[in-house]
Amino acid sequence: MSTRTPLIADQVSRSFAGRHAVNAISLELEPGKITSLIGQSGSGKTTLLRLFAGMERPDSGRVLSGETVLSGPRTHIPIESRKIGLVFQDFALFPHLSVRENVAFGLRHLHKSERGSCADVWIDKLGLAHRRDAFPHQLSGGEQQRTAIARALAPEPVAILLDEPFSGLDPAMRDQVREAALAAVREAGIPSLLVTHDANEALVHSDKIAIIDQGEILQTGVPETVYNQPVSAKAASALGPLHTLSRSDLPPDWQQMINGTDTYVHYRPEALQIAGGSGFRVVQQKLAGAVSEIELDFGGSQTLFAMCQIGSSLQPGTEIGVSINPALFFDFAPKSV
Amino acid sequence: MPHATFSLRTLPPLLIVALVGLPVLAAIYAGLTAGDGATWDHILQNRLVPYTLTTLLVLLLSAIIMLGLAVPTAWLISQYEFPGRRIFGWAMILPLAMPGYVMAYAWADMMGVAGPIQSYIRDITGLSARDYWFPNLFSAPGLAFVLASTLFPYVYITARAAFSMQSLSTLEAARSLGAQPLELFWRVAIPVALPTILGGLCLALMEAAADYGAADFLGIQTLGVGIIRSWQSFGEPNTAARLALTLILIAGCFLIAARVFQGRRGTQETSVRWRTPTRSKLPPVVAIAVTALCSLILLICFVAPVSRLLWLAFETNANAPDLWPLVRSTLLLGVMGAALAFIAALVFSLSSKRSETLRLATRLIAAAGYAAPGAVLGLGALFILRETGQALSGWVAIGFLVWIYVSRFTSAGVEPIQASLARLPKNLDLAAQSLGSTGLRQFMRVDLPLIAPGAFAAALILFVEILKELPATLMLRPFGWDTLAVRAHAYATDERLAQATLPSLLIVLAGLAPVLLLSWRLGKSERS
Repeated sequence: MSTRTPLIADQVSRSFAGRHAVNAISLELEPGKITSLIGQSGSGKTTLLRLFAGMERPDSGRVLSGETVLSGPRTHIPIESRKIGLVFQDFALFPHLSVRENVAFGLRHLHKSERGSCADVWIDKLGLAHRRDAFPHQLSGGEQQRTAIARALAPEPVAILLDEPFSGLDPAMRDQVREAALAAVREAGIPSLLVTHDANEALVHSDKIAIIDQGEILQTGVPETVYNQPVSAKAASALGPLHTLSRSDLPPDWQQMINGTDTYVHYRPEALQIAGGSGFRVVQQKLAGAVSEIELDFGGSQTLFAMCQIGSSLQPGTEIGVSINPALFFDFAPKSV
Repeated sequence: MPHATFSLRTLPPLLIVALVGLPVLAAIYAGLTAGDGATWDHILQNRLVPYTLTTLLVLLLSAIIMLGLAVPTAWLISQYEFPGRRIFGWAMILPLAMPGYVMAYAWADMMGVAGPIQSYIRDITGLSARDYWFPNLFSAPGLAFVLASTLFPYVYITARAAFSMQSLSTLEAARSLGAQPLELFWRVAIPVALPTILGGLCLALMEAAADYGAADFLGIQTLGVGIIRSWQSFGEPNTAARLALTLILIAGCFLIAARVFQGRRGTQETSVRWRTPTRSKLPPVVAIAVTALCSLILLICFVAPVSRLLWLAFETNANAPDLWPLVRSTLLLGVMGAALAFIAALVFSLSSKRSETLRLATRLIAAAGYAAPGAVLGLGALFILRETGQALSGWVAIGFLVWIYVSRFTSAGVEPIQASLARLPKNLDLAAQSLGSTGLRQFMRVDLPLIAPGAFAAALILFVEILKELPATLMLRPFGWDTLAVRAHAYATDERLAQATLPSLLIVLAGLAPVLLLSWRLGKSERS
């Protein structure tokens, strides 16, 4: 087994055409844990992955595997010598090779006779035994995905980096594939980075979340903490919907319940629950899967958004009461939301 | 639109299908039915077998040379950064501007006993001409070298496209699995790109098989040479017909193979191009070696032969032939041929939008004309003339010659027009029709402005191809209608190379126009 050391970015920066794609980022990927890197397109998440992989060389800062410097001011170990597994959004399977040959591609350090059996172990582990001899274009998206993961894990890399690996999949099969694929990744016990723009994916499947925006990490932590205790409005809105109100516009009793002193308060829509009473007028209700998104009007001019389960549909104009979970009201310095 | 299977609208394309297809069919028919006259044994043993074997040998050798020239340069230029990479990127296709016969004249002069290379060798070694071995251009390998050096850009272009179409992440995935640069080339890039590259190679070989001028000048008995000799010198029309049939079979095989290869690609090219490729920097010594290699290829295949022709032209200007009549007949034939072929190509392209059957028929016939070498089509025309009892003179001859140009080159015009049509949104027609524009009005207001750039390229390509055409023009031109190509060839084979240089240079100059257009487009598509 490979030595299980963390993969570390230490103050790495990389600019393209004068623009900071990654600006002095430090991030540690711990062995056996899946770290999700979440951000919008253009936030620098793919560049950070490429810096870890060695596809890009940092302008400054270092990339380390444990104590070993992979990229630094004087060193740059090329991608082919890093032993870091990569899984791409488009899977990037070799179209001229079968599943088995794809998985065995990185096994040249083994004797010829062992390559096949070693590849087979990973093929079985990812449930591809029946597709062993198929070629990439004959595979479904999910099968291609799992082949790509088997191929990346088979040479026992020191880390694995997954670049939006599930975004190309049919939503119906995505969950199933993701479950099997990430189980194999976690089992390998190596540092793994999952780059994604899907907040749900990051929240459900990772051990640690790093939120990246405009080349900087806004917040890192375990999913619960990052979701429930965001450090800024930007960080909060990266993981779910966030709404903003002026504190003075809130009903007086709510103002008491919500800690903080800032002029603005931010809340997640699930902080609002329908309760008995009145004072809030339903503007419209939209079904969003299991829950409903309700637009409410109060005090004549203020608008609130709630996300909750309701028994029956609410007619516009209905008066209802609302209770709140103050823990999901956040108080930061106002930033553009 | 009504569901009429046959309407007035389908008439023009059908007429053009007939027009384009007839010479090929005539040549094939003649080849299949040629019986009497010289005996079959004689044809087989003295003509068909040796000519065919020589042709295949030349094609095999030029395939090897073309792959050797094109594939490594395409790979280096698409993957690595080195001095002059941008320039080489487009300059590598310049040799396409040189017809094979012009390349042959230039290199024959340079490699001759009295030429600059051998003179230099004698100067520095003090040997006399009999004391050393020097490669002989007047040989099958020499012909293969000449053809390969003008046609390798076909392979280069497809190889470049294949390498850049490959999902960039496929190469990065291979590297992340430990593949070193050379392994990357042999284990991933080449196998993935192979079908596309072979497709390009087959097209280049089809062009090589169509050569007449270079082989005739170098005295190599290829099928193209054999057809014209059998007809004109040996007086054996049956032999010519058999040779033509064999040649069109060979060329047809290459065309079919090219299409098969082109159909096989695209197994996994749907990948997202998520960033422009970052080219690896080569170590300084290697970078200089790569620059030197690319410079050498360009020197051999373009710069040196063109410079030599220029030097010859200025050095020996005393004997410059009167070019004006040649230019005039070249222009007249070129404009007539290009105009008709352009109309044919336009009708083909537009009609293929309307009916699937028509599209298949037009594509098949256009492809047959494309694959058929000029000598074969010329022979087809001669058979038609003979059957109809017409004499090859005056306007009849010009009419037949223009007809052959249309038959041979229409498909060269179809490609750029269809390429620009394919870029149009599918529902554009319906949108125009819903706004009350139909028929000719729709064509003038919607289609024509949109395909104008492609149409311009098509017209230019057609004109230049016709201007370069040699064998059919040689066979069919009436008295007093020598073109630049015909006269250059006549001077060169007459060992009056100096006089051949000016017409040759004019042909190269004209040939540069579409090549530069193409390289400009290549550069643009690379940047975007």
